[in-house]
Amino acid sequence: MKRATRMKSARPRRRSERRRLAARDQSLLDLVDNVLSKGVVVSGELLLGLANVDLIYLRLTALLCAADRVSPAARGWRGGRAALTR
Amino acid sequence: MTPLYLYALLGTEPPPGRWRGLDGEPLRFVRVAGLVLAAGPMSRAPGPSLSTLRRHDAVVRRLAGAVPAVLPARFGALVTDRAALAELIAPQAATLRRALAQVAGREQMTLRLYGSARRGEGEAATFFPSGRGFPSGRGFPSGRGLPAGPGTRYLTSRSAATLRAQPDLARLRRTLAGLVRAERIEPSQTPPLLGSVYHLVDRGQRRAYQRALRRVTCQLADLRVVPSGPWSPYAFAPEPGD
Repeated sequence: MKRATRMKSARPRRRSERRRLAARDQSLLDLVDNVLSKGVVVSGELLLGLANVDLIYLRLTALLCAADRVSPAARGWRGGRAALTR
Repeated sequence: MTPLYLYALLGTEPPPGRWRGLDGEPLRFVRVAGLVLAAGPMSRAPGPSLSTLRRHDAVVRRLAGAVPAVLPARFGALVTDRAALAELIAPQAATLRRALAQVAGREQMTLRLYGSARRGEGEAATFFPSGRGFPSGRGFPSGRGLPAGPGTRYLTSRSAATLRAQPDLARLRRTLAGLVRAERIEPSQTPPLLGSVYHLVDRGQRRAYQRALRRVTCQLADLRVVPSGPWSPYAFAPEPGD
């Protein structure tokens, strides 16, 4: 009986942890998308030390596409359960 | 002369304080043609890692909290010195001032749209094979630091128009219209991500935007919406070539 109670109380916590993690993953993807691919460009010629940024950005595109499949937060949104992330 | 790493363009100088950059360097505020450039002395550009991206964004957020108008700089902009920075910004000053006026008192919300593309909706994918097709980043639809050619611009706008015509997105945009001050729609060519919508909303209207969004997303049939924000208005900086 005691064990059953413990299991019951553990489940919602795991769910909320998963949701928090997923929200954080989504937020990271948005962070990379914003900071790497948007914003004022001073001059293409003077962007230094960023030879691998394009590669990272292309990988990001793939990640954004995959986010829908791996993120419980994304799936839960239509039910109005997911919170906005930042 | 130490090179300067650019964080953001501001409408006004922030109040005096302990302003620090991503490496803890003291920020300098350089005035150019009515703009204030927030930059920090740095010997070389920071490498792109999650940590540096977060710290770059944190600096921009702190600045946005202190002044009404902020245009974030794209990560990695290092220029040789103060004079070079001024020289690069001055020709774009009028465009940048207009952009700053647009974002004043506002912040960005981002919506990722997921769903299945219908026949014809992904037609531009033939021309924008995201990924390996553009090793240099030239002509990438989101504008990767190089001006897009007229063909690329035409195809991107056509692709965005197709996405805009999607009934669920049209419904979503109608619902949010009263809260949205400016909008950018960026189609994706890699399903299930159909595209991203960037909304500029008045600061203080976030809750109203979230409520309206929740109401409408529950009613959408074919579109799954993943929101995030508020962000500094990265997506509302002028594109190269504007």
